[in-house]
Amino acid sequence: MKALTWLRVQRSKTGLMAPWQLAVSFLMILPPSLSGQESMDHSDHSGHHMAVNPSGVVMNENRDRLPRGCPEISGDQALTIYAGRKYARDLPGIIFGMSEHEVQVEPCSRVKVTFVNEDSVRHQWMVHGLPKYLYPAGMFHIEANGGHTMTGTFIVPAEDQTYLVHCDMEQHMEKGMRGQLLVGSGSGDLWSVPGISANFYRSDYLPAFAPLLLVLVSASAFILSLWLAKRHS
Amino acid sequence: MKKRWLILFAVLLAALSYPPSWYPLTVRVKMTEWFGAADFRPLPESLPVADPDPAVFCPPDPAGWRQSHLIEGVNIRPSRPCVADNPYAVASLVRGTNNVGQDTLLRSGLAADAVEKGRDLDGDGDPDEIHIRLEVAELNGGSPLTPGPVTAYEIAPGIQPGLWVFAPKFVGMAVENFESNQARRSLRLPSPAIRIEQGDTVRVTLENSHYMPHTLHLHGADHGFTDVSGEGNDGVPITSEIPVLPGQARTYELSPRHAGTMFYHCHVQPHVHVMMGLQGLFIVEENRPENWLQTMNIGAGLVRAPSVSVRDDYDSEYDLHYLDIDKELNERIQGENDPRLITRSMHRDYDITDAATDYFTLNGRSFPFTFRESLLVGKDNERIKLRVVNGGAKGIALHTHGHKFTVTHRDGVELPQQTLAPQDVVWLATSQRVDLALDLSNDGLHSYGPGIWPFHDHQYNGVTNDGIGPGGNISAIVYAQFMDEGGWPQTRGVSWDQYFDPAYYRKEIPVWEAYAPGLFSDTGADWLMLLRLTGLMLAAGILAAILLHALVNLRRS
Repeated sequence: MKALTWLRVQRSKTGLMAPWQLAVSFLMILPPSLSGQESMDHSDHSGHHMAVNPSGVVMNENRDRLPRGCPEISGDQALTIYAGRKYARDLPGIIFGMSEHEVQVEPCSRVKVTFVNEDSVRHQWMVHGLPKYLYPAGMFHIEANGGHTMTGTFIVPAEDQTYLVHCDMEQHMEKGMRGQLLVGSGSGDLWSVPGISANFYRSDYLPAFAPLLLVLVSASAFILSLWLAKRHS
Repeated sequence: MKKRWLILFAVLLAALSYPPSWYPLTVRVKMTEWFGAADFRPLPESLPVADPDPAVFCPPDPAGWRQSHLIEGVNIRPSRPCVADNPYAVASLVRGTNNVGQDTLLRSGLAADAVEKGRDLDGDGDPDEIHIRLEVAELNGGSPLTPGPVTAYEIAPGIQPGLWVFAPKFVGMAVENFESNQARRSLRLPSPAIRIEQGDTVRVTLENSHYMPHTLHLHGADHGFTDVSGEGNDGVPITSEIPVLPGQARTYELSPRHAGTMFYHCHVQPHVHVMMGLQGLFIVEENRPENWLQTMNIGAGLVRAPSVSVRDDYDSEYDLHYLDIDKELNERIQGENDPRLITRSMHRDYDITDAATDYFTLNGRSFPFTFRESLLVGKDNERIKLRVVNGGAKGIALHTHGHKFTVTHRDGVELPQQTLAPQDVVWLATSQRVDLALDLSNDGLHSYGPGIWPFHDHQYNGVTNDGIGPGGNISAIVYAQFMDEGGWPQTRGVSWDQYFDPAYYRKEIPVWEAYAPGLFSDTGADWLMLLRLTGLMLAAGILAAILLHALVNLRRS
């Protein structure tokens, strides 16, 4: 989970999860079990259902197995997500983008995702935190080669929850390809979704004159207040 | 009490303006649990960048110096790049400045005794008595009259490090004209490449026109420790002679028995003087009949009147002189004018053991100016001889794109035939020389075919101008079909505009602005953040004043 890289750094020091880390894993909307001791090995796909073709990959497709709590498929929904450089252009400071950084679907619905990659390099639309009894490692994943379109279908759980959607190519999420999937009304926003929520860590973007200005402001306040205090004492 | 209100105001202000992103992590996590992730706030927009204001890439050549010439019976080959040597100087340096007509000499700019050529001692049809005179010139030096450097010489757009060079003996003004501050065209870095013939009776007179002591040391060239009169002849102050003081002259003598690519430099405080530019190629050519040599190659580069032995084996010959520059040293001649202060600054304050070099020149220029005058231009199947010296403080890993060259000589000594093998990187230690054979045969080994193929130091600092790339000693092997009439290579990459704008090397232009505008530009400011910090500092000032006041009152009571 690159989303939790900083969390991992903390954890690697202690080997245990602090209470706040547990809390953070909730705020990232991931089950504690997934973001906790159990590490997910992306290189071992033995448990996944992989469909690989020259256009890309669909992993853990599910057209008919119902999540617990879903008496039936509530409906069919179709999403088309475009990915690539051009979808980052209206936001400064990111390189890669998706046409939709937030999508919302009905609980228990069957969602058909058409992922259109308009760049010339691989991109991914990867959902995390889904029930593991249906989706190995909790993932549903579409990967399209440059210039290709891939389609995959999965069935979302019954509960209102927000799921992380991202491209797990190195730095693609950090540089813009991070989104969220809201089932029902979701369970709150994730951090750092372009156009949706603020970056958890953000540079200060101070102008070059800021240090001088700040020193002058505090010095003036100091002198003025000292003068005021003296006058009134 | 008013003070109480002031304290309340300051504390409230501090609490409100403290940036939430600076809260402790545990607090942020708790807040996220309660309120969710913070709302999206776009990152600041990219700042607009002014269009580049480039210098002329390729200066015109109204006097036709680039063309082939026949002057004083000397065949002077054409020079394809934009900026070429003065052919009248070339002719005068081949015939001897004492043997050419007044008109040629005037057009050459050289003094009548700059290179005197005398008798043909071995009767093989060329002169063997050679008397060379060198002066010492300062470029980009200081002045009590003007703020900018005088006798200005740009190694790259806007870059003018102070330099010392051995210069051919010219007549007249050091600058282009009375209104100009620019060094005359032939007065430049590097010190000229000197060519003499094996067995010649050579005298080199150092006329020290500079304000500091200097000597001449003939590195690698066969010379006696003393001259015929018993005077020191090695140029080394600690072992052979007292240096030549300002206004003095000394003549060095040699009659080299061995041919090869050698080196000359000043040996006074060499860690400073050699680094300042007092160094040049010293080439001893094989003795051949009718071997009229171009005694100096001003600015190095293409040899426009090559020797008989080079003409026998190669289609053309280039001298390549690499030199790196430490701006912290070279700017020391610009800040002060008093020679006592300069001497102290250069020889006692400056510590080369703490130094790193910043500029990397090839034949006295750095990229992009290297593309004006240091391109190696050839035709398919030609063979080019390169004589290379690394005069810089650091080693260079000279690499050619599209070609594998053969090192034929190292330090002026021919390598055994059976050891020769093509290679595409050659290491040159400081002061080392190699002779390279560059073969433009498209055989997939020696050449990969016609094109514009860069060659450069593959140590990465060497391809920058003070850390800004591209810069440094990048030049190119250009096949003639890729050169335009004016002498500029028909490149198909990034626009040259930004590289010819001094602002680029002043670090004012984002490096990829030319082809990815806005994407990697400078960012605007986050005014909300600045407002918060201003509020915070205001509160801090107030609280500090109140605290101080309280402490003072406490002590009084």
